[in-house]
Amino acid sequence: MLTLGIETATERVSVALGDHDGVLGSIDITRGRRHAETLTPAIEFLCRQVDVKIDEVAVVAVDVGPGLFTGMRVGIAAAKAIALALHIPMIALSSLDLLAYPLRRTDQLIASVIDARKGEVFYAFYRQTDHGIQRVLEPMVGSIDDLISDLLGRGQETLCVGDGAVRYREEIVAGFETDFADLSYSFPCASALVELAHVKALKEDWVEPHQIEALYLRQPDAEINWSTRNSGAGR
Amino acid sequence: MSGFTPNNLVVNESTIILAIETSCDETAASIVMGGNDILSSVVSTQIDLHAQYGGVVPEIAGRAHLYLLNPVIAQAISEADISESRIDAVAATHGPGLIGALLIGVSAAKALAYAWDVPYIGVNHLEAHLYAGLLEDPTLELPLVVLLVSGGHTMLIEMRGHGEYKLLGRTIDDAAGEAFDKVARFLDLGYPGGPAIDAIARTGNAQAIDFPRGMLHDGLDFSFSGLKTSVVNYVRKNPNVNTADVAASFQWAVVDVLLNKARKAAEAVGAKGLVLGGGVAANSLLREKFTEMCAADGRRGLLPSRAMCTDNAAMIGSAAWYRLRSDGPTALDSGGFPNLRLPLIDSSWSR
Ligand SMILES: [Zn+2]
Repeated sequence: MLTLGIETATERVSVALGDHDGVLGSIDITRGRRHAETLTPAIEFLCRQVDVKIDEVAVVAVDVGPGLFTGMRVGIAAAKAIALALHIPMIALSSLDLLAYPLRRTDQLIASVIDARKGEVFYAFYRQTDHGIQRVLEPMVGSIDDLISDLLGRGQETLCVGDGAVRYREEIVAGFETDFADLSYSFPCASALVELAHVKALKEDWVEPHQIEALYLRQPDAEINWSTRNSGAGR
Repeated sequence: MSGFTPNNLVVNESTIILAIETSCDETAASIVMGGNDILSSVVSTQIDLHAQYGGVVPEIAGRAHLYLLNPVIAQAISEADISESRIDAVAATHGPGLIGALLIGVSAAKALAYAWDVPYIGVNHLEAHLYAGLLEDPTLELPLVVLLVSGGHTMLIEMRGHGEYKLLGRTIDDAAGEAFDKVARFLDLGYPGGPAIDAIARTGNAQAIDFPRGMLHDGLDFSFSGLKTSVVNYVRKNPNVNTADVAASFQWAVVDVLLNKARKAAEAVGAKGLVLGGGVAANSLLREKFTEMCAADGRRGLLPSRAMCTDNAAMIGSAAWYRLRSDGPTALDSGGFPNLRLPLIDSSWSR
């Protein structure tokens, strides 16, 4: 079952194709032009080099975040459009899962940490199981202090990964002693996405394109300001 | 009307385009055949989502577009009652507009075009507004003068041919729609301001207050910020004034200036017809006086339906057909252009 994976939740644009033989090919671009410019040509190039036609794809997997809103929506919009065009189902996975998956061999607690800007991070925790990894803390958004107190609460040997972990390394270490993954693991990538999606696809654990929802974890600023104003906090 | 594009693609009367519009707060899709035959046009407005904030909130618009776009496209295809394999090209507004909103339509359109192996066409939203009038009456003869009035724009454009535009006049400060929004907010009439003022003005006296007509005898450019200020000053000095009279007199001042300049522009270039376009063209007083003026002048006036004046994807599909015919497809590595301008023959306009 040929799976196309699309991932644009962070600075990186990443696409991959995979089937029961594993990842057939992937493209990761972490700087340069913006997501909207790069994405479709990357899919086109990948299909050509892997020698498949786009209409052979049977399922579209997409990273639904959390991440940077504008870039993330570019990938989700394109993924939903391809699924609509080809009448195929979709599989949604979280950016935080994709960060943890390549580190699944560690017996440390894995903390996926994505930069959410405005001094905050998106994060979730994972631990190794017999079959791979299991999420033990649902995706959150919070300050570095929130992350540190959640880590202290677990009190386990931890491996931090993600662009949030890289950016706030010093602040995290100041509050909690932890290891950090190599820089090459700092961004989610679509090859992890198609590997994880393939397992789900075999179980037909998929959804229709209109059921795909982005994982924002944060209200739009206007709504936050509005509810603060209306709750009387500002009066 | 047929021809080969630079890519040897045949573009003719039976060319079918799926068009997408997500530049602001309407999520829209349409199927248009041959540049002016609208097979379907679906518009999902987000006005209710933004109303409580008194304006469009970009992040809320982005979320709504992502959520609504697939169902809107699916509905446009099903209402057109065609098989998807008949779609010859996919178009989307690529500017001007809110960048995050534009990129959703652009990304979806490019992905659809790639998946169906058909051309993608990035469309200029302003150019599409010019085509909205022609779309409903393709027999209009060029040159035409188009009065384009919306929340973001107030322009008088001479349309000499397809893709050949000359700017005759434009606002030097606020757009007409912006003035409506600001005055409505000041009078506490709600959002969006245009329909709110239009409604209350019906019960007011448009001659009650003689608001100034900015730059009336001063070329073809417009100015509305002085008008807004005099409304504010007048109401502060006369706190017991009837709000309906203020709204009606303000509205009449705007319409009076718009139509006076449109008439002057049509005379100056010897236009065969005058076309109204943009969201403010849905205003009832402007529509009524526009029709009266064209009749009085013996000039052909084209008043698109209200649905065609406000943002929609049918006008995108129409403009896309002409662009595909003249320029060919847009490259798949193209993105969004939030500050895109209308391509003008006389490029001395710098703003
Ligand atoms: Zn518009």
